[in-house]
Amino acid sequence: MRLLTAFALSTGLASAALAATPAEVTQTYADIALAAYQDSLTTAKALQAAVAALIASPSEATLQAARQAWLAARVPYQQTEAFRFGNPIVDDWEGRVNAWPLDEGLIDYVAGDYGNEENALARLNVIATPKFTLSGIEIDATQITPALIRDTLHEADGIEANVASGYHAIEFLLWGQDLNGTGPGAGARPYTDYLQGEGCTGGNCDRRAAYLQAATDLLVADLQEMVGNWQEGGPARAAVTRDPQAGLLAMLTGMGSLSYGELAGERMKLGLMLNDPEEEHDCFSDNTHNSHYFDGVGIRNVYLGRYLRLDGSVVEGFALADLVAAADPAVDAQLKAELEASVAALGAVKAAADGGLAYDQMLAPGNAQGEELIMAAVNALVTQTASIERAVTALGLSKVTFEGSDSLDNPNAVFQ
Amino acid sequence: MPLMPPPATPRLPRPREGRRRFGGLFAALVALALPAFAIADTAAVVTDHARPGFAAFATAAEALAAVDSCAPDDLRPAFQAAWDAWTGVAHLSLGPAEDGGRGLAVLFWPDPKGAGWKAQRALLAAGPADLTPETMAGLSVAARGLPALERLLYPAEPLAADPCPLIRATARDMARTAQDLARDWQGFGDLLLSAGQPGNTRFLSPAEATQALFTQLVSGLESLADRRIGRPLGSFDKPRPDLAEARAAGRSQRNILLSLIALRDLAQKLSPDSPQTLAAFDRAIALAETLHDPDLSGIAQPAGRLKLDILQQAVRATRDSAIAEIGPALGVGLGFNALDGD
Repeated sequence: MRLLTAFALSTGLASAALAATPAEVTQTYADIALAAYQDSLTTAKALQAAVAALIASPSEATLQAARQAWLAARVPYQQTEAFRFGNPIVDDWEGRVNAWPLDEGLIDYVAGDYGNEENALARLNVIATPKFTLSGIEIDATQITPALIRDTLHEADGIEANVASGYHAIEFLLWGQDLNGTGPGAGARPYTDYLQGEGCTGGNCDRRAAYLQAATDLLVADLQEMVGNWQEGGPARAAVTRDPQAGLLAMLTGMGSLSYGELAGERMKLGLMLNDPEEEHDCFSDNTHNSHYFDGVGIRNVYLGRYLRLDGSVVEGFALADLVAAADPAVDAQLKAELEASVAALGAVKAAADGGLAYDQMLAPGNAQGEELIMAAVNALVTQTASIERAVTALGLSKVTFEGSDSLDNPNAVFQ
Repeated sequence: MPLMPPPATPRLPRPREGRRRFGGLFAALVALALPAFAIADTAAVVTDHARPGFAAFATAAEALAAVDSCAPDDLRPAFQAAWDAWTGVAHLSLGPAEDGGRGLAVLFWPDPKGAGWKAQRALLAAGPADLTPETMAGLSVAARGLPALERLLYPAEPLAADPCPLIRATARDMARTAQDLARDWQGFGDLLLSAGQPGNTRFLSPAEATQALFTQLVSGLESLADRRIGRPLGSFDKPRPDLAEARAAGRSQRNILLSLIALRDLAQKLSPDSPQTLAAFDRAIALAETLHDPDLSGIAQPAGRLKLDILQQAVRATRDSAIAEIGPALGVGLGFNALDGD
């Protein structure tokens, strides 16, 4: 009996393993990417409509509705972040939609002590300044258009902190600066910042409305472009499916780089070490706990080959986990457990924030509970990174060859 | 105040011959039994590079904290020596330096928003009462370590308050951090050395330890090219010497040079038979030695900038050599590193 069970188990494993091929796994990966970017686009269009309503009739209600639409849009988008590293076509585009941290004084009014010694434009305030000089060139910004934001303002002067477009620029225009430091409370921009004519606060309400609308339109266009990249025949899909081995490496690179350098390091641990609420990813809206949590979920999605869509349907198929299990069941079991543990630890941060301890409060010096919550998530992410490296090894892949791979360093090379 | 010139550039360590690990017949048998990978000398890295390097930093940091004076002229030689020592191990960002953000507490750079000076101004204004070791350890990393001391010992403008208590507290805090790093490298070194043995859950095989050290080598070269050189290099039209590391202390060039020497030592200990990589290092080191531009002011001029540009290319070429030569020779790939998110 015992023998029989063991035999059944081993054949079960073997058949599952035989069923999945790298080509099928990268197919699932591309399908999940497409679905997640489609959901991001859908929610960005809802945001676009909510922004139009806010501008048409500014009120507390329309401002709150626009903020809710922004928060909803972050849920699918953050799950796409696992596609960023490893796919140059995504990484090269990402700065347009999710660049952070930003010198928001480039865009609009900010409090008195704000500055950045490396960035002469940190207090430009385009909304209040229709004409200005940039690197010696006269800029006419009397009309605020998507093209002005994309081509002239974004990363102006070659400085990455000059973030003029994307989710965080829109977030700033909906919430305003969070001036509460590590105390409770998010940005508190009044809806009257959008009142046209009498009652306008913050000055230049017409130009502020134009900026918000243009930035939102640009976000929708950028997401549309990325959806196209992952559709049948799209270059992002082609890059990972044409050479499935390179696709598998892109999958694991995205998981590992987001886990370690980006989320655990830049976005979580560094903010804690600096006790700096401006090192909070969604700092204006106090939504950082959700952004981090859905990053974690996105990493797990890639490994398990499963994505829960906004409408409740599920996109799933042959998974990276199947391939790793066939190559080294111990690595697969450990990585699965560690992915669950990191999602749980990020979930604990989220639960604490939902319960009233905002992420920026967790960063306060001496907040032992906050530090413990954040470090538990950081440690879980660092731990899973080692197993992601083991999965790379188990599948016989190498980041060394990846680093030198023309097709991945230069996405266009694939199509020449 | 006269600038204290940094100590003379140390002579290059002599390349060490690769150890003969096996006798001829035994080596032949092993070669039959194992894939043809060289065996990484993890032991040499731990015992001859990392542990003595961190011990030297602990000694130098303690010597700085023990200086019985607050006069910048008295403190600067020990301060320069401490930064020299740190540059010998700064690239080993795994393990003890990662735990508790200790590496960041020694060297938080760059600091584009000036968070460190902002915090230090507040500490100077608040007076000495709060400057206990405990409060220092709980401060933002931007207000601690070498750059924090540099701002007090080479102030850009006269300091409003007596900096003496803050200098002492910052130096004492760094000495404690340095001591913790040296202590924890005993245990962490043991983990690297016992990779693959029962009970070692951190490194499940010797290859994992090798990969971790190889990744430090490559990410150290990347950080050197992208940050320490890349930030001041700026663009052709807009070089940014003002963004150079350790500019006030006049050791921007020196940090580049000492980083290269330390990384060469790591490469050579990890994989002694790496002629291409070591030659690439030697070329980069020669270029770094002949910059003749201690605080990189010279890069404001096209000729000076070109020299730094060529050095950056040489550092990147060294990285490429290490990836092409050492990774395959040791049979390991590149792991993830802390710069991946940049």
